[in-house]
Amino acid sequence: MIDFYLSKIKSSPLGILWIVFSLILIGLISLNSISVIDSQSSSGAFKKQLIFIIPSLILMLGSLLLSKKFIHERIYYIYIFSIAFVSFPFLGNEVQGTYRWIDLGLPFNIQPSESVKWIAIIALARFLSDRDKHITNFSTIIYSLPLLLIPSIIVFNQPDLGTASVLLSPIIPMLYWAGAKPYHLFLIIAPFLSILSASNVLIFTVWIAIMALVIFALRKHGWHGIAIFFINIFLGLIFPLVWNSLRDYQKNRVLTFINPELDPLGAGYQIIQSKTALGSGGLWGKGWGEGTQTQLKFLPVQESDFIVSVIGEELGFVALFVMIFLFSIFMYRILSLSYNASDKFSGLILIGISSIFLSHIFVNCAMVSGMMPVKGLPLPFISYGGSFLISCFIMVGLILNFGREQSY
Amino acid sequence: MLKTPNNIPKHRFYILVSIVFFLNFILLWRFFQLQVLNFDFYEQRAKSNYIRATSIPSSRGLILDRHKKIIVDNYPTYILYSIGAEVKDKNKNFEIINEVTGLSLEQLNKNHNNYYRNKFIPTRLAKDLNITQLSRLEEQKNELNGIIYKQYPERIYSSNIRASHILGYLKQVDKNIITNDEEHNYEFDDLVGWSGIEKKYEKTLRGSKGVSYFQVDAFGRESGRIDGTNDILPAPGSDIVTTIDLDLQKFIENKLDRLKGVVIVSNPESGEILAMISSPDYDPSLFRGFVSNKDWKSLIENTDRPLLNRATNGTYPPGSIFKMVVAIELLERNLIDVNWQVLCNGEYEFFESTHKCTGSHGYVNLNDAMTMSCNIFFYEAVQKIRLDNLAKRSKALFHGLPTGIDLPNEMKGRVPDRAYMNKLYGTDGWSTGALLNISIGQGEVLVTPVQMIAYINTIATYGNYNPIYIVKNEDRSAISTSISKLTWKKINNYMRNVIIDQNGTGRLSDPRISNLSIFGKTGTAENPHGEPHAWFIGYSDNLKQKNSVVVLIENGGSGGKIASPLARDIFRFLNNKNKEKS
Repeated sequence: MIDFYLSKIKSSPLGILWIVFSLILIGLISLNSISVIDSQSSSGAFKKQLIFIIPSLILMLGSLLLSKKFIHERIYYIYIFSIAFVSFPFLGNEVQGTYRWIDLGLPFNIQPSESVKWIAIIALARFLSDRDKHITNFSTIIYSLPLLLIPSIIVFNQPDLGTASVLLSPIIPMLYWAGAKPYHLFLIIAPFLSILSASNVLIFTVWIAIMALVIFALRKHGWHGIAIFFINIFLGLIFPLVWNSLRDYQKNRVLTFINPELDPLGAGYQIIQSKTALGSGGLWGKGWGEGTQTQLKFLPVQESDFIVSVIGEELGFVALFVMIFLFSIFMYRILSLSYNASDKFSGLILIGISSIFLSHIFVNCAMVSGMMPVKGLPLPFISYGGSFLISCFIMVGLILNFGREQSY
Repeated sequence: MLKTPNNIPKHRFYILVSIVFFLNFILLWRFFQLQVLNFDFYEQRAKSNYIRATSIPSSRGLILDRHKKIIVDNYPTYILYSIGAEVKDKNKNFEIINEVTGLSLEQLNKNHNNYYRNKFIPTRLAKDLNITQLSRLEEQKNELNGIIYKQYPERIYSSNIRASHILGYLKQVDKNIITNDEEHNYEFDDLVGWSGIEKKYEKTLRGSKGVSYFQVDAFGRESGRIDGTNDILPAPGSDIVTTIDLDLQKFIENKLDRLKGVVIVSNPESGEILAMISSPDYDPSLFRGFVSNKDWKSLIENTDRPLLNRATNGTYPPGSIFKMVVAIELLERNLIDVNWQVLCNGEYEFFESTHKCTGSHGYVNLNDAMTMSCNIFFYEAVQKIRLDNLAKRSKALFHGLPTGIDLPNEMKGRVPDRAYMNKLYGTDGWSTGALLNISIGQGEVLVTPVQMIAYINTIATYGNYNPIYIVKNEDRSAISTSISKLTWKKINNYMRNVIIDQNGTGRLSDPRISNLSIFGKTGTAENPHGEPHAWFIGYSDNLKQKNSVVVLIENGGSGGKIASPLARDIFRFLNNKNKEKS
């Protein structure tokens, strides 16, 4: 039995673990820098993170050792259970104005939206791999969407816009990987782009032109293509009307939800401080424990969402370069594992997980560097946070499990 | 079906890999942009982020009297601020402050709401804290998050005079001053001279602020000194020595008491103002530091307008004290002979209107007309004068021109000339009749009391006067007028007769002290506000020193009966004081 498990572990693509532990190390170095001088509360970040690595590794091992078959068979039940689990916090108390956490009386709270990320991916992977022959049907695509949309909508209401959008990120890559027609993917994305571009006449015009070109180039110029074209234009035109019919306070609520920087003393302040920390780090950084922005507490939530600013300030562009390089290699490795996976189900799971990681990395870095509004998304392996660290390691376990060439 | 084959075309893999690398490249480029390309900008910003420069107030110069006795002094008080972003428990803070200062929680909350601008700018909670209260707060510093204090030099009026209008007051700077005056680097909550000497000599008194640099963390807590930056020490403002005589000022303030009006005493030869009182005034200590809204309102809404400096900004008809101007014009241009006479029977018919006199004086010449203040003589004589010439003469004697006294916003009064009358009434709308009124200082003529002190000084010095001033400084030289010495002599003789002649209107202004000659002229100026204003202008001469006096009692009645006795007391006081000295 033990031999069986050992061989299972040995046959896993363990190479990616070196990348993961290098990233963890970078995270711990900067967390330690924060806690060295800090005598305030929340200084325990470094120690807590260190302690959280233990359950993380255990759960990683668990998700590595679970049989693929078992997961494949039971994933829909697990999915339904996890949807219930995500809805759970709504029964409890508000924590910091949200319903993200469950308090089980443990010394830490549990954030169920973390687990639903990878459970929903596995469910979608099963759904798509089961219908491999029908993936070119548009109906298959439409039926697959609720698997990610439902948890995303629940999480959106917690409210957690960041995690909700991360949950949606695997849809297009996974459908593409599964072999969906690019035109179908285009049909899914088109309405969103129509609505988004509607705010600016020029952009909207350009978008209409692109849309016409795509429809024409893919030879969909029958009634069908024309209908798609005009439905999108209609959506784009109707949206500003709907928007304008909202009252000012409703608009503001939506706007600050999308872009918290509109509140200059809140998130705007954070972005300014974060950019200042990053920029003043320069090429080589100010040195470990020497970051004035970090050590003087100008950076908000520096141990979790803004850890990149700490690294950037104290260790400089060089460290961030190394970090992004490691992430790139990590992503590349997952993609190649996916390409070489033993079966389509496994491959799709890996694609889904890589999408989750990529969206976390991109949104977090884009946020701290002021390219995107503040969303409160942590950086995998580096940000402080128990639930998220565990979730990341479970996903690493899944990568190791489904990236194996043998199908146990 | 776990058995679905994983037959993925290679290009899908390549496309996804390129997307990954593309997104990561964007991130790297962004970091490169911030950290390498814009490094200088952010490095600078990081520095200003953690270096807090606070200004150290400079102590304001003192205001002294002519004998260097202190009139206005400073004393340090402390102001308590809270910084919203750093406050942890507002209520707890307020409880501690309440306990130490005795300020009610309600008041603290009210101040907080009034002065709160944003969470990073200090909000003023309490003022006028003394050092004891401060040290008690300091003991509990650990529990007071986000509470800071600043030392504040406030004005204190230690002498027992008011002299409110000379001294002026301080008030918080307004936006206008902050934006228009870059030189002084005013900040919100700074006090700035708002009137009087405090305003006129703001630059001298203020000095320049110092700067002190701290390293602070994001909570504003001081976390150390910064190497390589040196504090700039504040330069205190310079003291100002005025020409005011504390004792005299006090004596007159007590004399004037509830009367409305102005008294100015000066030395005609030097131009120094020894005392200046505009009544009613206000207690200058209302303006120690921050004036409360309630006090401010009650001052502004008072119908007697205590904030108005009547000496420089009150304009009044001069009445008969204007007659010297007319007399000088008559004499200088040889328009009449000194023996030329007019019959005064109390009334003067001019076309359809009747002008009255103060009495029935019989045949009067210029001397008699001045002594008894006969109007009818002047009605007759003024018809020989051209209005524009009279206007010019008036201006040469400070009527309708600012005196240049070193107080802010002096009014210039009004002297009518042809252009003015034409503009006011139309070319045909007025006649020589208007001149009759002007000749006795009524009608369109308006003067300020400081103009009258400059006027009497010019007369007392035979035209070799010094411009009047309150703050001593070196470069002064006398100015002379083109009026002949003979004319001056005659005018001064007439003014002497006003005092000593048995029919003289100014008899009551003579303290009857040997070797002290009083010269003067009374005025009883009709006005639309009720009783006539009572004027006395004159000077005393003991052969060594001259002192000039202007007394104006608003709606006081007769100049001879009301204003003159006050002048007499002042002359006596000055004489006694001079005796003490010698």
